[in-house]
Amino acid sequence: MSSEKTIPPGPQVHFELRKAGEGRLVLVLSGQLNADSAPRLWQELKQKLAATPATTLEIDAAGLTHCDSAGLALLYFLSTGQMTPNAQVTLSGLKPEFQKELQSFSIKDYQDLQSQQPAKPSVAEETGMAIMGMAGDLKEMAVFIGQVASALVAMPFHPRQVRWSEVLRIFEIAGVNALPIVSLISLLVGLIIAFEAAQPLAQFGAQIYVANLIGLVMVRELGPVMTAILLAGRSGSAFAAELGTMKVNEELNALETMGLDPVRFLVVQRLLASLLLTPLLTIFSMFTGVLGGVIVMLGLDFPMPMILRQLESSVQIRDIAFGTGKGFVFGIIVAGISCLRGMQTKEGPSAVGASTTRSVVSGILLIVVVDALFAALMFTLKK
Amino acid sequence: MSAPPDIIISVHNLTVGYADQVVLQRINFEVRRGEVFAILGTSGSGKSTLLKNLIGLYTPMAGEVLIEGRDIVTAEGDDRLRLLRSFGVLYQSGALFGSMTILENVRLPLDAFTRLPELAKDLVALSKLRLVDLKVSPARLPAELSGGMQKRAALARAIVADPVILFLDEPSAGLDPITSAGLDALFKELSRNSDITLVVVTHELPSIYAIADRVILLDAERKTIVAEGNPYYLRDHATDPLVRHFFRREAI
Ligand SMILES: Nc1ncnc2c1ncn2[C@@H]1O[C@H](COP(=O)(O)OP(=O)(O)O)[C@@H](O)[C@H]1O
Ligand SMILES: [Mg+2]
Repeated sequence: MSSEKTIPPGPQVHFELRKAGEGRLVLVLSGQLNADSAPRLWQELKQKLAATPATTLEIDAAGLTHCDSAGLALLYFLSTGQMTPNAQVTLSGLKPEFQKELQSFSIKDYQDLQSQQPAKPSVAEETGMAIMGMAGDLKEMAVFIGQVASALVAMPFHPRQVRWSEVLRIFEIAGVNALPIVSLISLLVGLIIAFEAAQPLAQFGAQIYVANLIGLVMVRELGPVMTAILLAGRSGSAFAAELGTMKVNEELNALETMGLDPVRFLVVQRLLASLLLTPLLTIFSMFTGVLGGVIVMLGLDFPMPMILRQLESSVQIRDIAFGTGKGFVFGIIVAGISCLRGMQTKEGPSAVGASTTRSVVSGILLIVVVDALFAALMFTLKK
Repeated sequence: MSAPPDIIISVHNLTVGYADQVVLQRINFEVRRGEVFAILGTSGSGKSTLLKNLIGLYTPMAGEVLIEGRDIVTAEGDDRLRLLRSFGVLYQSGALFGSMTILENVRLPLDAFTRLPELAKDLVALSKLRLVDLKVSPARLPAELSGGMQKRAALARAIVADPVILFLDEPSAGLDPITSAGLDALFKELSRNSDITLVVVTHELPSIYAIADRVILLDAERKTIVAEGNPYYLRDHATDPLVRHFFRREAI
């Protein structure tokens, strides 16, 4: 059948390499030289030709009935003397139709390509580039903060420019829908901390202080931080991906050419929504975290009124205010950095993924750094 | 006429469509080896659906598609791989992988189907890029190329493993007339210089007249082939008003 001709089943090339005098080699090829048969021939010829030094190599290709591009690549490689650098190579007998295709090969293209591979930069260069990159990033952040601040300041004067329906949508997606995961994690963390703390405290008969511990830790530290980290992972990544996709689809460019500022049109709504939802989520997280502690204490046979009294005496209103205030700040940070990362998205299919990762990493990093700053601030204020 | 033409694709009583809708019903046609065969029709007439059934991406609702005498629907394992290897497909969007350079994209079929040395793969890929006249560095990423250049690179990828049949889905979509005429010239040259068979889906009249040896015209209402033959002949001799309208629309 004709199909056998066009879809060859296996290696079907024959070669004969013989000495025809002093330093004179003759290579006779016959059969079908194609992608199936060329790899083995390539290997064998490479070994044989390296083992037999010669000054001339005559290739007789008259017996080749069929060649595909892979086969021609081998012929080209042979006939340009790449396998026999010290020999004069001649090629004869190749059918004219293959001869023509042989013209499209070029070792120069290949060498050009090799030379285009960028040289690996030195350590000093890489360090320099990294520092430049960081400086550039800081500058972009500063500019972005300025833009956002001016947009926020302008907002009360033009409240109609804010798309409140969008704010509401984001509030629902990033806030309301996050309630289950925030409560579950806070509750479990509360349970675990209370449980772990109860054992050493029992040695001193001081288990009642589990209430103090869980109250302060949840309200001042873990509530706000856990909420913010969850927000960064859950919604910050979504913000970055949304804005990044818009950037890739040229929607951001479209906004600019319509005279709409992307910061006002897209960032402000996300920022406002986060600003509203993080304190609420934070309070919720504090509450469920403490609840976890309370459950453990009930398990340790403390009566409810006693636990509540202990909590009341240790957690002040200003602690709650402090924790909620942190929530505000974290909310701004998470929304801001993820929108910035989204807008910094570059071209290409992996760009959105990259900026999503960057948004989560920078978000969490900033949360921890700012939290440390808060702690230092409180410490100096108390002195 | 001398010997009967060598048939490379034959379609018997083929019915294609989607779960809720039959798009084409009991169609029959044949593609001859070495010709440029065009599948025509207005938007929504089922050209892409038919093409995807021809290359085995979709399973037909009924009927058979024989490629070199082998049924693409029932082929399995090595048989199917060998059939797939004998195809090249140029997708409408180019479908270049954005995270790979042009050269890596073009080499991909060789990586998948052959065990050539790396250098040989590069040489073959570069020769195909030369053939399609891509004038930019193959070390670039697809996103850095214009639409026409991406099509050329995608074409190089489609022909790199020396396919017997090249399928083209709307090759000129989204390109300016000059670029698309350049692509047409490339297809014509490809067809003239090798015994490759081209199956083109298009609705661009200039393109049809420039490259197609034979065409079929699909119609959404009748769910079948309403005309078959040489495009110039159909333009001048068709009696069916629908066919006349399609071929003369912009040609006059
Ligand atoms: N994935 C799909 N699922 C269901 N119906 C589809 C799908 N793709 C296309 N269709 C329908 O099949 C018909 C033919 O579409 P298509 O083959 O894309 O036409 P053409 O390529 O000629 O423009 C249209 O009516 C279209 O709505
Ligand atoms: Mg289509």
